[in-house]
Amino acid sequence: MEVVRAYFRSPAAIVGLFLLLVVIAMAASAGWLFPRDPLALAGRPLVWPFTNPRFPLGTDNSGRDIAAQIFYGARISLLIGGVATVIAVFIGIVIGAVSGYYGGWVDNVLMRITEAFQTLPNFLLLLVLIAVFGSNINTVIIAIGIVSWPAPARLTRAEFLSLRNREFVQAGRTLGLKDLKLIFGEILPNALPPVIVYASVVMAVSILLESALAFLRLSDPNVASWGNLIGLGRDVLRVQWYVSAIPGIAILLTVLAVSLVGQGLNDALNPRLKGR
Amino acid sequence: MNFTRRAALMTSAAIAANVVDPFRAFAQTTPRKGGVFVVHYGAEQRQLNPSIQASTGVYIVSGKIQEPLVDLDAAGNPVGVLAESWESTPDGKTITFKLRRNVTWHDGKPFTSADVQFTAMEMWKKVLNYGTTLQLFLTAVDTPDAHTAIFRYERPMPLNLLLRALPDLGYITAKHLYETGDVRQNPLNLAPVGTGPFKFVQYERGQHIIADRHDGYWKGPANLDRIVWRVITDRSAAAAQMEAGQLHYSPFSGLTISDMARLAKDRRFIVSTKGNEGNARTNTLEFNFRRRELADIKVRQAIAHAINVPFFIENFLGDFAKLGTGPIPSVSTDFYPGANTPQYPYDKAKAIRLLDEAGVRPGAGGTRLTLRLLPAPWGEDISLWATFIQQSLGEVGIRVEVVRNDGGGFLKSVYADHAFDLATGWHQYRNDPAVSTTVWYRSGQPAGAPWTNQWGWKDDVIDKVIDDAATEVDPVKRKALYAEFVTKANAALPLWMPIEQIFVTTITARARNHSNTPRWGSSSWHDLWLAE
Repeated sequence: MEVVRAYFRSPAAIVGLFLLLVVIAMAASAGWLFPRDPLALAGRPLVWPFTNPRFPLGTDNSGRDIAAQIFYGARISLLIGGVATVIAVFIGIVIGAVSGYYGGWVDNVLMRITEAFQTLPNFLLLLVLIAVFGSNINTVIIAIGIVSWPAPARLTRAEFLSLRNREFVQAGRTLGLKDLKLIFGEILPNALPPVIVYASVVMAVSILLESALAFLRLSDPNVASWGNLIGLGRDVLRVQWYVSAIPGIAILLTVLAVSLVGQGLNDALNPRLKGR
Repeated sequence: MNFTRRAALMTSAAIAANVVDPFRAFAQTTPRKGGVFVVHYGAEQRQLNPSIQASTGVYIVSGKIQEPLVDLDAAGNPVGVLAESWESTPDGKTITFKLRRNVTWHDGKPFTSADVQFTAMEMWKKVLNYGTTLQLFLTAVDTPDAHTAIFRYERPMPLNLLLRALPDLGYITAKHLYETGDVRQNPLNLAPVGTGPFKFVQYERGQHIIADRHDGYWKGPANLDRIVWRVITDRSAAAAQMEAGQLHYSPFSGLTISDMARLAKDRRFIVSTKGNEGNARTNTLEFNFRRRELADIKVRQAIAHAINVPFFIENFLGDFAKLGTGPIPSVSTDFYPGANTPQYPYDKAKAIRLLDEAGVRPGAGGTRLTLRLLPAPWGEDISLWATFIQQSLGEVGIRVEVVRNDGGGFLKSVYADHAFDLATGWHQYRNDPAVSTTVWYRSGQPAGAPWTNQWGWKDDVIDKVIDDAATEVDPVKRKALYAEFVTKANAALPLWMPIEQIFVTTITARARNHSNTPRWGSSSWHDLWLAE
């Protein structure tokens, strides 16, 4: 309860949460507001926004309803953000926890691997993965998760390093708890808050990574994603700029929402900031 | 701001028609020497030898470096390049070319009839896409002396057909550089050596190709110092570079439709179909018969009936395109058989009925069938058309997954590996159906030959009509045979060609002597120059 109250103390966090709820509402209502396939031909191509009541946000250069694509795109963005983040955070936590808890050569080996990943620009690695495994939406999501795990891993490791010699851990050890139980049952819950906060960053970056891929026309062309719409709009950017601008604004607001929520969580969960 | 693409297209066409001539009228008369001409190169090829791969993507580069026996003049008539004259025996089985003297390769060796013999027998007949069909009945090339090449055919070869085919399928490669090893693997395929007005300098993959003026050119040195082909896959970026003056020429509809319409209104550019009359094209929909459902004629017919082509043309392509009626486009006055052949007008109910009859019934979620569609990466119209196919087939329960590839990957997946269900790209019609049209239907094409029948489909009757037409010396009978071919091909529907277009050129208004032949983009550009 304390945490919730702390969260709502920040106006930015409230705005973020509101925007995020709007995006979730869009994703939830897409099928109900736009029962037709968002990639289906809706009418003439390149109808400007606010000129035809049937297409409040106009149509793109393939004659698809932009509004429908924005609503369905919210689903894809949340899916990418959510699943890729879960993958990245899961891998990160496992590697970071094992590495931080055991230390020594285990830590050395795992951290060298993590560094190897960190030295590669993650977008380039993503391009390689997509080139090898193809640009299906599932492979795109998994690939984004795979390139995003090193930072959560380092964060978890740092938390574990500072927690592993605390009294409650020592106590658990003397009681004969197994390593696995200690790592995931005792230490992890205490190490989790900063990782959760960082997960919001991963989520925002994941959405941007997919958009960047789609801008290069390397994302899955068979789903209605905001990035695909921007990539498609590139062909008509000079005259019908709205095809790219509308999904661009949607991405901006979603990333902003996720970041603000993350910031709010950080403020609420960080004990050192309490009382300010 | 109710500015539709269609309105833009109409104004652009009107402007394009007006712009070309005023510039001609005020043109400087003395060519300026020097200058670098920068060309938009949209889709890289895996090799650049025009004796091995017939493609505008190859000619746009190597057409300046290597030369054919014959090219087309301004009026579209054959004019000798490496050949000076030609004659055919009345039975059409022997065609003699007198070759130009005092022509040397860029490495200094003389050009002789041995080069013609080698290229014809080892490349045109064995490897070159379209060439393998055209030269199917070529038995030998005799070389009584260094400047005479006698082509001997088992069945008659109409002289008119050969002369219309040779501008594209008649490029000569130096024998002394290709004698040993597999001609397809020769490293010079990416660093061509020829007899043309420009000699190859450098190819930086993904970046640029450079060719410099060849001072020893037999017609006299070209006007330009250098030609640079810049690899730009992003069409919008290419348009921006045209406006910044960093590109002079974007051939073969290389810009987006909306950018071409916009630049047509800019006095610094000429946007026109002129100079591309020899490269009419149709948009295709290619079926892979190895996919069980697609081997059923009813499914192919249903797919064709499900797509509203007039709607697509009116709203997406505008004046740059018209409804196609089959493999021979209406611009071909000598061979066009009219629209009175089997056609597949938009009829969604009929499409659904045909699918039901074929036993392709809706499964979970109403999906009858899931197909992979591979669109070629050249030309915005292909990408729009692929999306339109996807949308249209979705309406009748066929789910289409669009799979995008780069140029090389597309050609390999479709024409070598046959890893596709549907594919779409351009069929280019080159003045005579036997040049690059009937190969899309004739069986027996080697796997990997791009833009040929790789569908896993064979029809003995159509094969026979194709062969008979290609060896018929009487023009009236030939035309009748091609009408029969179109009728049968449209009925069998191994692929569908429902849209015809002529390429659009975007070029700087500073260019002179451009677009002056029907295949100018592919031609040698020896007389091209840039005004101040």
